[in-house]
Amino acid sequence: MRDVFTEIWESIRRNKLRTCLTGFAVSWGIFMLIVLLGAGNGLMNAFLRGGEGLSTNTMEVWPRRTSKPYDGLREGRRIELDQGDADVTAGPLFSQYVDDVAPTVSNSATINYGKKYVSGQMEGNYPARQQMEKIEVIEGRFLNEKDIRERRKVVVLPESIVENLLGEGVTDSGAQIGRRRFSVSGDNSAVLAKSMIGKFVKIGGMMWRVVGVTKSDESSNSNTFYAPFTTVRTVYGKGKAIDEIIFSFHGLNSQAESDAFEKEYRAAINKRHRAAPDDERAIGIWNSFAEHLQMNKGERILSTALWVIGLFTLLGGIVGVSNIMLITVKERTHEFGIRKAIGASPWDITKLILAESVSITAVFGYLGMFLGMIACEILDKTVGQSSVSIMDAQIAMLVNPTVGLNVALEATLVLIIAGSIAGFFPARKAAQVRPIEALRAE
Amino acid sequence: MLIELKDVNKTYNNGQPLHVLKGINLEIDRGEFVSIMGASGSGKSTLLNILGILDNYDTGEYYIDGRLIRGLTERQAADYRNHLIGFIFQSFNLIGFKTAVENVELPLFYQGVPRAKRHQLAMEYLDRLGLADWAKHYPNEMSGGQKQRVAIARSLITHPQIILADEPTGALDSKTSEEVMQLLGQLNREEKVTIIVVTHESGVANCTDKIVHIKDGIIGKIEDNRQHHASQFGVNTIMK
Repeated sequence: MRDVFTEIWESIRRNKLRTCLTGFAVSWGIFMLIVLLGAGNGLMNAFLRGGEGLSTNTMEVWPRRTSKPYDGLREGRRIELDQGDADVTAGPLFSQYVDDVAPTVSNSATINYGKKYVSGQMEGNYPARQQMEKIEVIEGRFLNEKDIRERRKVVVLPESIVENLLGEGVTDSGAQIGRRRFSVSGDNSAVLAKSMIGKFVKIGGMMWRVVGVTKSDESSNSNTFYAPFTTVRTVYGKGKAIDEIIFSFHGLNSQAESDAFEKEYRAAINKRHRAAPDDERAIGIWNSFAEHLQMNKGERILSTALWVIGLFTLLGGIVGVSNIMLITVKERTHEFGIRKAIGASPWDITKLILAESVSITAVFGYLGMFLGMIACEILDKTVGQSSVSIMDAQIAMLVNPTVGLNVALEATLVLIIAGSIAGFFPARKAAQVRPIEALRAE
Repeated sequence: MLIELKDVNKTYNNGQPLHVLKGINLEIDRGEFVSIMGASGSGKSTLLNILGILDNYDTGEYYIDGRLIRGLTERQAADYRNHLIGFIFQSFNLIGFKTAVENVELPLFYQGVPRAKRHQLAMEYLDRLGLADWAKHYPNEMSGGQKQRVAIARSLITHPQIILADEPTGALDSKTSEEVMQLLGQLNREEKVTIIVVTHESGVANCTDKIVHIKDGIIGKIEDNRQHHASQFGVNTIMK
């Protein structure tokens, strides 16, 4: 093995400039591949972080207007969901799939605390909602069964509202500017949250006790707060109407199953409101599982596209190496003739060229990979730390735009294969050199 | 018989078919010091190629030590060349980016001999040829005679049955030529190596014990030259 490397080194040493120029193209190809994959990962991570707070087995249902005439009623009729719909959802018809059902009523409301006020959306909710939406309580507790039963006047506020109620100067909700708000005020907001528990806030002329504070993330609405379903319904006189039904399900494992269930469910709800069973606009359904599948599919497509682009960039480098090896073989024809005359087999010669090709590709490829990883780190330290504020929501552009060890291994494999392909034709040519070449005078 | 050629024919088909060897019959015994002499175009180079298993022949039979050399794969041919034949070329054919000792080692490398062992052997052979001090030098730092002695060391290192020398003095001055021929003669006498020299110079041929004259692809007379009086220029001289 050492002999082979000695030979390669001797050959490369005689053609430093040529080898470096060719190697640069390979380095560039791998560099691009790594940076593209890193940026792609960052983009995907940013998307996924947005979806992190959502579970993958819930559906949200809300009323809309019909789009088809049915049962003697014309289209454009407004649908209203009511308790009956929640009961159907939880009923025997769908019990095979549906787990928890949480109907919601909501009302816009203004919270007063001392001299500060914040306007937001009050959602009357069930405890099950916490699980379904992965609501993270950072202080105190979420709503419980007793709150529902006794119609307690308690609220669970998000961090952002607490900050605005207790913070300085700011009296308007949802006005955060700047980079990584939560890392900057993280400790501070925990203290604020703690101090808020047990305090009373004034909403709609009544006093409500704060029992919990939830974490608000960069993408979800920061001015929605929670109160017991029964309390909100009573206080705001909602009667039987509900604004939204959220339920969790299990046992739907594919897009097809999910679609079939959705269709069946839609038909059942539509029927209750005398809308056409296939009217897709009478009620709105948001399926987090379908969303999740879409997201995965998107990730796969993105990753595939980046690999393809990266590999095509690399291809330029490979062709360069192949070209240079062909020239090398041409130059060394006489030498290979001598080697064969004194006993080198075709494979001995092939091995020499292949090993040289793989070595050039691998060494310069690793250099490119190394530089690419550094570039990813720089990307992470700069663009990866910033976020843009769009419609009250903090959206990170790139989150952790780096590549993992598996990509490094895959790239290694790619390099070895690429080097072999680059060396294949030149090596075959070299092996075909006839030993008579040795007798030809230089 | 070490070498036996029976009615060997060879035709080149480059556009116009060229019948180069027209039924060669030749026997060379172990320990002989033979020269094959002929003008350019006589077919002596083609004969050398066939003897060295560098090229194949069309019809006939060629035996080395009783082994029929025919229809070999490239790998087998390489193996036979490596083990049975040592080559000495007109232009030395040392590899320019390898030192003298590395050049001598090369045939052993293709036999898979470990590095230390082959280095030691190569140094021994260089020493015997008086080149131990030049072991670390590259070919372009040596004189023609030195280069040819390195090449001879390289050809000897595998203990081949046959040494094939193709115009071994072609690129050397007369004094060095004589030294090289004496060296070959000495190797033949002392080590009992079979040596075949291909040349067009009668002076070189005169240094050998047997001269095979080849003309137009046919072997003419085979001269017994143990008295070394064949040269028209006198005994023990090589005229350039």
